Amino acid sequence: MERNPMGRQLAIMRQSLFDQGYLDEQFIQLEELQDDANPNFVEEVVTLYYRDSARLILNIEQALERKPFDFNKLDDYMHQFKGSSSSIGAKKVKAESTLFREYCKSGNGEGCTRTFQQLKKEYATLRKKLEAYFQMARQAGPMETACRPK
Amino acid sequence: MAPSENLAPAGRANTGNGGGAPNGVEKQQRCQFNEVVLRNRLTALLVDGNRFCRTIEQGLLRAYGVETLAVDNGRAAVELIASGVKFNLIVIDMLLPILNGLEATRQIRAMGVRCKMLGVTACSYEREREAFLAAGVDVFIEKPLSPEILVPILRELDGQ
Repeated sequence: MERNPMGRQLAIMRQSLFDQGYLDEQFIQLEELQDDANPNFVEEVVTLYYRDSARLILNIEQALERKPFDFNKLDDYMHQFKGSSSSIGAKKVKAESTLFREYCKSGNGEGCTRTFQQLKKEYATLRKKLEAYFQMARQAGPMETACRPK
Repeated sequence: MAPSENLAPAGRANTGNGGGAPNGVEKQQRCQFNEVVLRNRLTALLVDGNRFCRTIEQGLLRAYGVETLAVDNGRAAVELIASGVKFNLIVIDMLLPILNGLEATRQIRAMGVRCKMLGVTACSYEREREAFLAAGVDVFIEKPLSPEILVPILRELDGQ
């Protein structure tokens, strides 16, 4: 896979996403669904995730502006968001989602608010890192990202 | 590039990129999971209110050659089953619009449907697990649905 310096850089960047806890094994499962016929599958999936989950983020933000908190609704939104996030292997985002849901279950509004701020930070950070990764992957060329053909 | 909703790749899952796996042994195991050949035509119904999750799970099932139909709410799933359509596998989320996953599962089982049902959900609490199992799913899976969990089930359904 590492045929050139850029390929090596790409591999290092990719590994750091796992080492720093941004991604978990589910991301690798997505990569394994990528093939020659769909060489950009992972990037498309991630793009769809950010587009789709933006609506949930907005719903949660709006729900947190309404007092008193409707913890059941907040929990439902976060349940959906957690499901999506876990499907792309967004490890830190998923962890914050789990914590948020625990605060919903215990009716801790301050905990929900605080955790949601942290979740948005992780969500945005991951987005930036993945955008940079996919940009480098495009520059590195298709052989550096598509799975090996069978 | 506008992402399309039909992201399910054709054909079987291939081996992944080098690197990134926690260790070499796990990578080798993952490659083995990817070499799945189903002898029979298997069909699956996917019930998930989240469009993104439906896309991922359909992609995974189709990568293993499973013909998959997806609906986005519990009532649609119940009506589809009631119409006589049969599936080898039903993958159903707990939190669904219109009719939730627990009630949809109960109604599907009440119709005498005995196919394998996987309750796949973002929930991770024991009481939710117990409720879903009590409603009638055979297996409770915290999302994401992964090959490690899915492949043995597909092999079992395929009679391997």
